[in-house]
Amino acid sequence: MISELADQYAIKKEPAISESFAIYDTFDWRLFNKSLVLYGSGNNLFLRKLAKSEIIHTIEITSFPFFIWDFPDGKLKKQLVPIIKMRALLKLVEVHCRATTYHILNQDEKTVTRLAYEEILPSRKKNASALTAHLWLKPVKGYPQYSRNLAKRLEEAGFVISKKEDIYFKALEVVDKKPGSYSAKLNIQLEPDMRSDDATKVILHFLLHVMKINEVNIEKDLDTEFLHDFRVAIRRTRSALGQIKNVFPLGTTNRFKKDFVFVGKLSNQLRDLDVYLLKEDTYKAMLPPVLRNDIDPLFKYLRQKRSKELQNVINGLRSKKYAKILHDWEAFLNEPKDDTATAANARLPVIYLARKRIYVKYRGVVKAGNLILEDTEDEMLHVLRIQCKKLRYLMEFFSSLFPLKKISVLIEQLKKLQDNLGNFNDLRVQEEYLLNITKKLPVTHQQLKKTLVAIGSLIGTLDRERQTVKDAFATTFTHFASPANRKLFRELFASKS
Amino acid sequence: MATLAPYSNKGGVGKTATAVNLSYLAARTGVKTLIWDLDPQSSATYYFRVKPKLKSGTKGFIKGRKHVYKSIKGTDYENLDLLPADFSLRNLDAIFAKLRRSKQRLKKILKPFKDQYDLIILDCPVTISILAENILNAVDYTLVPLIPTTLSVRTHRQLLSFCEKNNYETGKIYTFFSMVDRHKKMHHDLMANVSKEFDGVLQSFIPYLAQIEKMGIHREPVAAFSPRSVAAKAYQNLWEKVQETILRGCDGQRNRTKI
Repeated sequence: MISELADQYAIKKEPAISESFAIYDTFDWRLFNKSLVLYGSGNNLFLRKLAKSEIIHTIEITSFPFFIWDFPDGKLKKQLVPIIKMRALLKLVEVHCRATTYHILNQDEKTVTRLAYEEILPSRKKNASALTAHLWLKPVKGYPQYSRNLAKRLEEAGFVISKKEDIYFKALEVVDKKPGSYSAKLNIQLEPDMRSDDATKVILHFLLHVMKINEVNIEKDLDTEFLHDFRVAIRRTRSALGQIKNVFPLGTTNRFKKDFVFVGKLSNQLRDLDVYLLKEDTYKAMLPPVLRNDIDPLFKYLRQKRSKELQNVINGLRSKKYAKILHDWEAFLNEPKDDTATAANARLPVIYLARKRIYVKYRGVVKAGNLILEDTEDEMLHVLRIQCKKLRYLMEFFSSLFPLKKISVLIEQLKKLQDNLGNFNDLRVQEEYLLNITKKLPVTHQQLKKTLVAIGSLIGTLDRERQTVKDAFATTFTHFASPANRKLFRELFASKS
Repeated sequence: MATLAPYSNKGGVGKTATAVNLSYLAARTGVKTLIWDLDPQSSATYYFRVKPKLKSGTKGFIKGRKHVYKSIKGTDYENLDLLPADFSLRNLDAIFAKLRRSKQRLKKILKPFKDQYDLIILDCPVTISILAENILNAVDYTLVPLIPTTLSVRTHRQLLSFCEKNNYETGKIYTFFSMVDRHKKMHHDLMANVSKEFDGVLQSFIPYLAQIEKMGIHREPVAAFSPRSVAAKAYQNLWEKVQETILRGCDGQRNRTKI
């Protein structure tokens, strides 16, 4: 083909270049979702935009930084911190490619367009045969007519030309990975006139899928978020069973509700420990510099406890009881349509049930929020938090049934309220936890005193922060319960029949 | 983002060779670079085998933005674009002089391109008139190739005193030795003296080499057609010094050390 082209164009061939690099991303494709590609070659890590060849940042590394806190300080780290957060970077694929570039020249022997033939190889070996190969046409700025002509000519000759695609996609295709294929976010498509029991099963199926994907990775202990996503899926399952009322036989619903309480409890402690360990830097920053290192025995203790707890969770997930629950649950979800369903809402079009449940829950939240005063017990805020969570899950389960823009606005508003309540609750729980743990810390006498002082100081800071968060509640809630939101809730969810 | 102008008020000192090779070396390290040929003789444009033509002439050049953007050409090298020169640029001085804020014009034209490139290198004609002041106002750093001869050094003193008189920050001006004949004692002596006399002398020099002149035959940066040559290594060394002393931390503030 090239020789054919050589009749029409002056062509200069560059020596073939072989490159090996590995592409990284988090399990939930956080970099891909931001159109970023992180790849490593030799001792260097590079960040670039998807479909662009310019490198945004480069760093030199001695060993691969699996977590953002392992990165050397600098621009790359600064850009990635808010994206990757606590997730581990995983190697998606190792790419070995061999590229030959042909320069198409004009009469001044200037390159006016480039044609690259790129092969992806299974290994670094020279004589390896390519897994896949493709042609790229790379136009040179300022000379569009040449690449247009060449593209036309190549297409006429029956060649497929890759223009804007990225080797990223080609390489992932080879290992059968689909960018963006996993997200913990609910992505459920329902139809308004679906039967309610069927629709609920669609939701529950999705959640079971999330559970299964994450469950296998919890054992590997790559990062804390597999467990987190797993737990959220369980919580959502319980919420769906409880909140989407009367769609399944009462006995079944109750049985699985109880089962998932059990499954959730398996990892309560581990998640708590994860949360504290993730907060290590934050906690240290809260302490006055003289106390910063004195807190170390606490984290050492928590880390030890965590590795034991992880084993407990793994054992739990390998237990017969767990296996049976999941097995029965899946079997139930896969049962064929039941035309004799007797549950009151089973055959109701889902849109009616969705509207009703969300609206009832919303009014409950507003009512409960209005009752909260400055001197209300903290327990009430906790109750309200749980109510909000249930409302949020319901809105997310059914979001595909409502206008996207409008429901997103409401979810966003609810989220702000939840953040306030969540922060308040977290701080309260942390204070209590730290207070309790002082009794259990196995430290020698002298160290113990210092560590206790540090923990005390920490509790003080947390408590002040909690007060600030509590003070902000009234305003946050007023925003949420504003007439505008109330109107929108009524418009979307108030029963129309 | 940084802008750099190899500049001299004396001709034939190796400005264009510097601009061409530094821009090539910068682009090769992944820095998105634009070489901006301001010289109506269009030598840099010639080296990159591009036609010396601005699409809407000086008129469009003055208007800037898209009028300039559409004239930019990709070179034979990745990450390196070129804004070609045009013979009509010879009138740039006269045109600038007629406009309001005549000394800030180039800065204004350059500004929108600073976001698009990591490095812009201006290849300037010999000038110490209004265009020179435009250049001094427009760029972050000026890099003066200095031949170690008495006349050359004298011209450089002229430039510095011109800058002082007209309130241009002389701290923005760096120099390095160019066309050095290593066999001449006089060159060595002058180099030693000059390094003491001026601030900002990069400890890197480009020898007088036939290879560099051959760029006109090859129409390529010497670092491209003869990467292992002494000339290429000298430019590589200069580029490293430019990176270390001038461009390091140039996101806003500069890191000037007396060297």
